[in-house]
Amino acid sequence: MFTATKVTILALALALVAARAATAQAQNNASINVTANVFRPITVVADRNLVFGNVFPGQGPQGMALASPSAGHFAITGEPSASVSMSWVVSPLSQGANTLPLSLSGTYNTVDLPAGSNLGAFASATAATLSGGATGQLFVYVVGTVTPAANQAPGNYTGTVQLTVIYQ
Amino acid sequence: MRASLTILSLALGAALPLAAQQTSVVGVRPLAFGGLFPGLPRAILRTDPANSAQFDLKGHPGGSASFTFLLPAVMTGPAGATLPLVFGGNDGGFSASQSIASQVGFDPRTPYLATFVGNRASVFLGGTANPSVSQRAGAYTGTVTLTVVFF
Repeated sequence: MFTATKVTILALALALVAARAATAQAQNNASINVTANVFRPITVVADRNLVFGNVFPGQGPQGMALASPSAGHFAITGEPSASVSMSWVVSPLSQGANTLPLSLSGTYNTVDLPAGSNLGAFASATAATLSGGATGQLFVYVVGTVTPAANQAPGNYTGTVQLTVIYQ
Repeated sequence: MRASLTILSLALGAALPLAAQQTSVVGVRPLAFGGLFPGLPRAILRTDPANSAQFDLKGHPGGSASFTFLLPAVMTGPAGATLPLVFGGNDGGFSASQSIASQVGFDPRTPYLATFVGNRASVFLGGTANPSVSQRAGAYTGTVTLTVVFF
């Protein structure tokens, strides 16, 4: 009887140890949030063409002023106060195989005025900052000169000034 | 009979102190990407003290624990827009001292086994958000869940 009791109690003790071992593995979990705020995308609108109108062979460079209604104009919107980079692709002013020498210049400003910072060379990117306020804005004015040669072939010459703006 | 009771007492004495020790996992800091510009990816390092995610753990000194993350592929934003997330092979970090400056990196995409030194430790998480060029503006959120099995 005494031995039987010992065996029973020993078995109980082992069962407790085994139960403890079984419950020694505990699982917990927790969650956290992942958050982000996406700023508004940049929009670029070419809202006025650069128009040289009639130009005449052999009369030197011919162009317009920044405030002229013939100046090219871009309007840019995006996240207020964001830094952006403006880059350019300028195709030749051409008519078939004939080209018309073209030189561009321009300005940019956070208010829609021709006066502003110079764009510099159109071959390289220009850094700028959009305006503050409810909407980030930037306005670009593009002017230039064409220089028809004395024997320039007559006709309509066209080209493209492409502006790309990205956040940086 | 007296001897048998002693055996039972010893067995219980061995079992109760360990069983009484509690384990826990608490999320203490979100993974925050902050402001994102469309088209510009942003990576948050697990060592970033302000923006990386942090979970604090309580376990057994010298014990082990396995970590399994449930990682979202995207965050969800306005009108159901989604923003892709990427977690790399070194974006998880374990610190037995709870120091963000003293982590062992691991791949959060697969289960990871770590050993406690004291009874507290931390797990950190970084990641990369990839907004598209045309990503809809607004606030985006997602959820990361960490499941820990303590041994």
